[in-house]
Amino acid sequence: MSIPQEPSRPPRREFLRTTALAAGGALTGSSIAAAQHSGHAMDGGGRGMKGHNGMSPELPKPIGDPSLGRPTGVQDEYDGFRRFAPSRGNSPDSDYYLGKLVPGLRDPSAGRAPFVAPDITSLPYEMKGGVKEFHLRATPVEAEFLPGYKMNVYGYNGSMPGPTIEVTQGDRVRIVAKNELPEPTSMHWHGFELPVQWDGASELTQNLIEPGETFVYEFDIHEEGTFFYHSHIPMQEAFGMVGWFIVHPKKDWDPPVDRDFGLIFQNFAIEPGQTVSDSWAMDWSWHTINGRSGPFNSPLVVKHGERVRIRILNFSPMQHHPIHLHGHTFWVTGHEGARIPKSAWIPRNTELIAVAQASDFEFIANNPGDWMMHCHMVHHMMNHMTEQVGPRVRPHQSVDAYLANLDRSPGVSSQNSDPGFAVPGYPQKMKGMSMDMMMSDRIVGRRETLGMRADWPMAIMGLMLAVRVLPEDLYHLVMETDEPVEPGSVFTEIVRRFGDPSVYHPAMKMSHG
Amino acid sequence: MTAQELVAPPRAPIPPEAAKAFTNPPAIPTVPGPELRIDTPRDGEFAPSSYTLNELLRLTGQNNPTLRQAQLHISAELGKAQQAGLYPNPVFSYEAEQIGVDVEGNKDSPGEFQGGVLEQRFVTAGKLRLSREKYLRRAHVSEHLATVQQFRVCNDVRLHFYRALAAGETLAIRRELLKSSEDAAVTAQEAYNMGQVRRPEVRRANVTLQRARLSVMRAENAQRESFRRLTALVGVALKEGAVEGSLTPEREATSFESELGRLLAESPEVAAARAKLAVDRATVERERVEWVPDLVARGGAGYNFEAGETVAVAGLSLELPIYDRNQGTIRQARADYARQQQELRRIELRLRNRLAMTYEQYLSSLQHAYEYERVILPESKAAYAELLESYKRDRVDWPEVLMAQHDYFDAKLVQVDNLLEARTHEVLIAGYLLHDGLMAAEGSTPAGHIDATPRPR
Repeated sequence: MSIPQEPSRPPRREFLRTTALAAGGALTGSSIAAAQHSGHAMDGGGRGMKGHNGMSPELPKPIGDPSLGRPTGVQDEYDGFRRFAPSRGNSPDSDYYLGKLVPGLRDPSAGRAPFVAPDITSLPYEMKGGVKEFHLRATPVEAEFLPGYKMNVYGYNGSMPGPTIEVTQGDRVRIVAKNELPEPTSMHWHGFELPVQWDGASELTQNLIEPGETFVYEFDIHEEGTFFYHSHIPMQEAFGMVGWFIVHPKKDWDPPVDRDFGLIFQNFAIEPGQTVSDSWAMDWSWHTINGRSGPFNSPLVVKHGERVRIRILNFSPMQHHPIHLHGHTFWVTGHEGARIPKSAWIPRNTELIAVAQASDFEFIANNPGDWMMHCHMVHHMMNHMTEQVGPRVRPHQSVDAYLANLDRSPGVSSQNSDPGFAVPGYPQKMKGMSMDMMMSDRIVGRRETLGMRADWPMAIMGLMLAVRVLPEDLYHLVMETDEPVEPGSVFTEIVRRFGDPSVYHPAMKMSHG
Repeated sequence: MTAQELVAPPRAPIPPEAAKAFTNPPAIPTVPGPELRIDTPRDGEFAPSSYTLNELLRLTGQNNPTLRQAQLHISAELGKAQQAGLYPNPVFSYEAEQIGVDVEGNKDSPGEFQGGVLEQRFVTAGKLRLSREKYLRRAHVSEHLATVQQFRVCNDVRLHFYRALAAGETLAIRRELLKSSEDAAVTAQEAYNMGQVRRPEVRRANVTLQRARLSVMRAENAQRESFRRLTALVGVALKEGAVEGSLTPEREATSFESELGRLLAESPEVAAARAKLAVDRATVERERVEWVPDLVARGGAGYNFEAGETVAVAGLSLELPIYDRNQGTIRQARADYARQQQELRRIELRLRNRLAMTYEQYLSSLQHAYEYERVILPESKAAYAELLESYKRDRVDWPEVLMAQHDYFDAKLVQVDNLLEARTHEVLIAGYLLHDGLMAAEGSTPAGHIDATPRPR
């Protein structure tokens, strides 16, 4: 039965604490069983848990050169705000409060920072008579949401989301749009104040582009900011047909940033055993960032002290996303409409981004570590959420026993014997997750992920991704060399330099394969 | 207690504080107690034996009483044939005539004639041969009827063997379905604890579980019943046990016309009717000669007390067929013959009628069995397996997997019925539609036929 709530301690935590003590870690024991069941051997224990031999596992050896951690000659402090340490500044009215106008580390003479939409290509163009000409093809796409999970959607040029169009304010653009879908489509240039005949709102402003046909759009761009293009057929929008349309200002925004990332958040309804998204669905079971689900989406890796801009577009069919960044407070500096005047910037940890809205965040990456950025909607923090009943929550039972002989069910004891069921609501933590796919080399083998805690993919699912803030030397090691990096070593090194390694336990290391 | 009270439902145990504070879910019901298991062998009492079809057929041949009856019918007809062909015995008589007649020198003599006379009937027109032949033909009818009885018995043993086999398979599947319901009940408890279902849904799972338990008990009862009925057909007490065999039909299916042709050509019922027609023909032959008078000769020797010497007597008698030329019986026999011709036709039509129904059921069940084997079972199994795989990857809820598991086992249950029906009708078609092996063996002469003379003819 439930323990009456105490004001100071939520009942479930109390239960977990007392049960873990009483049962000698029975709950974590079941996690071990689940991990072993999935073919993973664990070398160590998690937080509050000893390894198999009763000893805490050793921390990875120090790596990198701490003396290279900060570039020389960089201004560290701005009116009480510190570039290399979490801080607020002396006054909310200061231009430098929370790093508001603290410039990036970038040399201004090198020009603006490139726009990077991880896992999405950029669309090349040709200059023709002073016009930037782009070619977009509306195509069916097989998008790999997770390693081995190839989903059937629509997109552009074989990509979902489509490739990124980048132009500069004042450009004239021509977009040659060819429809390679088996059905009509249309192209809408979302947010642009263009002549109505190029708006792409089908029937209202133009005829649909029939299969095999091409339609040429041409217009001047006087705007600057974060825009996007998409099909103007609702079901095709729900089926993935969107892409970035970034317009760089003629005069670079101030202060300059070192990183300019773009992330498109989308939802899809894909049933078990299906690869086709049901764009008619009202609930959405798969979630992607730039066409990939966590943990297959790429971490954003930045250097300690850099000024970072992240632009996020919510192109989900009908669900808004409260986007939360850990470890930092960011300034909301723009929406898809325009760059916001500095006087109207607001600091936030979580920004609600509605359907078809985009938000631009900027912050100084002054807190080293691997930080989570995610939609805070519970169902969006995982894919295909399922109810917690059946073999996975029963002691000593596995679905493999059912699979072993489909004609003879292994049966079940008449009550779930897990003592946790004395607590109403138990279990709430997802049990029995399959880890083999999460430990795929295509996830943990990418350079952007090297040195993260060994079981980091278990934390990043659905609309989640990691923002890695690395000291200069560690950034160099991870992103600019081919040197092998031991799992957990970068994270441990950050703990060693910025935290307290004496009370840190490395992750359960899981061998996979 | 009034009738209204009798039908009133039991009081529902509704917890007073449900949904105001956490209340434990309705408990999973216990298994039915020993008072309901009066016919279930206790552990250790049940020594499992198994029987094959051939073994059971062999035992049936030795023990089923109707097969013995059928043989006795043949013997009876042969006895009649023997009797009907026996030549009439001579008649010896002592005669004393005119006792007390006056003779010279001796008044009131013992008689004119005192002596022994032997009389012999000389049967004419081959009446005895024809009678014997008639009854031999009846014995032939009985032989066909014995074959009919053998098919009745063996087919019935086969039918009940397959019923027992199906009952065993049904029981095994029912036990799997019970596990499925047990899992659903435990799942309902788990889901209740996680706020995913309400108390009525837990109760519904409990009801389903108890129904599944009752279904298992019914299947156990049915298995025992099928074995006991099989034992009754075999005609000997067998230790309760299982049967070994396959429900899968073995015979190649052919068209209705082909099956009808085979049935009419080979059915022992038709053969018996044809043989009976021959009997009726022989009866007509026999009755046609009945009017031909037999010659009765008598002769003897004695003493003539009047003449005082030994004398002989001789006589010859002959019935004069002036009024009775057996014409009525001949007419009756001819009518029987004609009626038997119609009987043959009736039997053929009746077989066609029965085959039409049996063939339809055979064909439908075969179609079902084949398509269940080819598509429905593999598809159901694949759906179950795919959902299990999906559950393993956290992609579907367990109740959905259980539903697929239930559907698969349910399809297997239907397939057992399909196969049993196909097997049943296969046996009937291959066995000339004959069954009911405890029906008394039939004799050759249905009621109403001419058969009523003290001395068979």
